[in-house]
Amino acid sequence: MTSASFTRRGILVATPLVLGTGMLAACSTDGSGGSSSDGGGESGGALTIFSTGEEMSFDPATSQNLAITTLGLTARRLTAWKTSAGAPTELIPDLATDTGTASEDGRTWTFTLQEGLQFEDGTPITAATVKYGLERSFAAELTGGLTYHKVLLEGGEDYAGPFSDKHLDSIETPDETTIVLHLNRPYGDFGWIASTPAFAPVPEESGEPETYATAPVASGPYRLESYSPGSQAVLVRNENWDAGTDQARAGGPDSLEFVLAQDASVVAQSIIADRSDSQNAFLSTFVPTAQLVQAQNDPNVGDRLVTSGPGALEYLALNTASEALKDVKVRQAIQYAVDKQAYLTAKGGEISGDYATTLITPGIAGREEYSLYSDDPAGDADEATALLQEAGVEDLTLRLVITDDQTGAAEAIQQGLDRAGITVTIQPLDENAYSSEVTAGDGTGYDLVLSSWQPDVPSPNANLTPLFDSSQIGNGNYNLARYDNPDVDAAILEASSTTDAEEAHAKWAAVDQQILEDSPVVPLIFSKNSFIHGSGVENFVIGEFPAYPNYLTVTLAP
Amino acid sequence: MIPSLQRLARSLGVLLVVVGLTFAIFYIAPIDPALQMCGKPCSPEDLEAARGFMGFDKPWWVQLGTFLAAIVTGRSFGSADVLVECAAPCLGYSFQLHQSVTELLADRFPVSFSIAIGAVALQAVFGIAAGALAARRQGGMLDRIVTGVSVVAASAPAFVVGLLAVVVFALRLDLLPSGGYEPFAEGPLEWARHLVLPWATLAFLNGAIYGRLVRSSMIEQLGLDYVRTSRALGLSERRIDGYALRNLALPLTTLIALDIGALLGGTVITERIFGQPGLGALLLDATATADLPVIVGTTLVGSLLIVLANLGADLARPLLDRRLAHGGRSPRRSSATTPLDQTPQENPS
Repeated sequence: MTSASFTRRGILVATPLVLGTGMLAACSTDGSGGSSSDGGGESGGALTIFSTGEEMSFDPATSQNLAITTLGLTARRLTAWKTSAGAPTELIPDLATDTGTASEDGRTWTFTLQEGLQFEDGTPITAATVKYGLERSFAAELTGGLTYHKVLLEGGEDYAGPFSDKHLDSIETPDETTIVLHLNRPYGDFGWIASTPAFAPVPEESGEPETYATAPVASGPYRLESYSPGSQAVLVRNENWDAGTDQARAGGPDSLEFVLAQDASVVAQSIIADRSDSQNAFLSTFVPTAQLVQAQNDPNVGDRLVTSGPGALEYLALNTASEALKDVKVRQAIQYAVDKQAYLTAKGGEISGDYATTLITPGIAGREEYSLYSDDPAGDADEATALLQEAGVEDLTLRLVITDDQTGAAEAIQQGLDRAGITVTIQPLDENAYSSEVTAGDGTGYDLVLSSWQPDVPSPNANLTPLFDSSQIGNGNYNLARYDNPDVDAAILEASSTTDAEEAHAKWAAVDQQILEDSPVVPLIFSKNSFIHGSGVENFVIGEFPAYPNYLTVTLAP
Repeated sequence: MIPSLQRLARSLGVLLVVVGLTFAIFYIAPIDPALQMCGKPCSPEDLEAARGFMGFDKPWWVQLGTFLAAIVTGRSFGSADVLVECAAPCLGYSFQLHQSVTELLADRFPVSFSIAIGAVALQAVFGIAAGALAARRQGGMLDRIVTGVSVVAASAPAFVVGLLAVVVFALRLDLLPSGGYEPFAEGPLEWARHLVLPWATLAFLNGAIYGRLVRSSMIEQLGLDYVRTSRALGLSERRIDGYALRNLALPLTTLIALDIGALLGGTVITERIFGQPGLGALLLDATATADLPVIVGTTLVGSLLIVLANLGADLARPLLDRRLAHGGRSPRRSSATTPLDQTPQENPS
């Protein structure tokens, strides 16, 4: 839920989430040369995507979209994701010929573009257009997107964007198809970073920066035909997109219509009933609880209700800067005291998640399963009491800050901790007040926070750094435990600098355990998301990561 | 003319207070709108840049002053590198939607206007008719039905009635679209078809107040001396009803004007349920994303519409009550918005 609040802009505003389609089917579409306009087979038709969002933006610089959702339909990047239901998500080339080559020291990354790529207007997609797209993301007017590259590119801290003819020298374009990026430190996951929105090409003649959001120049299989805020956006085929160059996108439907400002309950009802206007459609947000129960019990829904595997980590952050929680024994006692079973029940039961005992999200390569504390999801109150006694703590009272729709879950935490004699006072806040308090406040306002984290790219780095690196405390960032451990910082730096994937994975798995031994958060569940689509929608599959459908590969029944 | 000027000045004062309060609420509330603008992860430099670009780094009174001045003169945001212009009347600029608030509101206004006009017309016509009929047959079956339905309608939450309407009329019976807005210019028929459910829902919910108001006032009127006299003089019951209703014109006008004003400002729940991209839906989304400029702009325009509607009702009064047109005093009831609670008053005949 907090993931909902943190990614809210991404989900509700910038991009209604799209459902994923089966990668295998998608690949076979590509393989058979199922190119755009043949109209037969698995191609063609008009797909409708119902969204609760009011507005859409197609500007890569301001987007926090996952690589497989809306923006991926119009904007390609250097790299892309291959999601599948039975395996961790893979990094695959998109505009580039491979997923990037690191220099020996891991500080220089080189990508080569495929030959003959074109924008929707027929102009070539060159290294310079990728550079320009990246440079735009540094402009003050175009903030708000994913900024992992901004802290990595050399000289980025003093760069204010390309609009006054200044350029960022750490992005080199020695020829039309080569792009060389110089980083200020070694970084092993840069291939993943190159799949984030800012790595989409933007032509220099794209006009005023603030109008690009509604007048983008497409590089993907679809271009924006019309957009009416609060009402709809229509994407139609980009005739200059070449399916042969694209491993990530099926380009199935002839057109996609985003219907905006919808009420999720109304749409879910309509899709459950499989009304004629909802057959070739899906709802981009989760199925609301009431309709979820209804859909589960309706035999006509069947596999049109698609539930993801375990996804975003929901956790209880323990404010390590708070006097009451400075002692690691007290924090470990909370690990035992928490009743994850009651928490999951409050969240809607099994369809809403799997128990979590680790930090890295399922579906991310390098994740290792382990359990440091109680194996019983209901917890172990005796062990908790014993640890508290060891720590010499009595009458512990803690303030738990939540968003106001989390009351049930918070009460489950409260009752769990009560078994060990810990009193929890719950403070529900409006979503905006909540994120200001926990991400931007000075950390004196809470002891405990309920939150969740969905990594922006499927790498352990995107999982652990934002939540546990000391540079991510406050100022709008997500180290809610205010966890400041120089050893962990060093281990994170070490792992993130490793360019060999397997070596890096082993290091990250070790960091995962190292952090949890210190108990800055209690992992609760890996939440599952349920989506629903009409009977005409095919290849609507959710991969292991992320717990959202892959919009790029959805097709319609012939 | 002097009283009108006074009223105008008072209205302007109300609007200033609203702007001030809206600003104040956001400075007291622990919300930093720049956070929404600051990318992920958010570096201190980016956050500072975002605040500076949006003008949120200035003290609140400077921001308030700039905001008010921009309504008249327009303004620009940012620095020499990137300058975003916001033409007068500038009500701020949404950095999340990359559009001036004035444009955003202008885009959404026709939707809320369409909803308001139809809903108020429906609720006034049906509410008044039902109330008058019920009063005529006081204690009868029709009266009991009207009273019963109006209690249900007045106490039912909008989201329940709205969802029910969608499920029954759109999903089950498939008679009407479940949502969406079609501009009037692209076909009045489709426009109306898409608005029938929101109109009916609002009319059902608000019409109850009209029904109850008209019923009780009519009953009161029908018991007054002038009615007895009229009857004794042999006037038809229809004429008598006409007199009684005319005496309700003032409170009803005030009520209708206020309703129009309120609905024009957007109906959050109804617009949401029926997928209507009006001002209410815009406000809801802005609240969720802490889009401060949009919230302030929508609130301000919403209050402006209510103030204007009130002003309109004030100015229309002399037309409805000739005593006012000749400089007389208005009877107390005519200025009340909820005469239900009033003690009966002699009507000077």
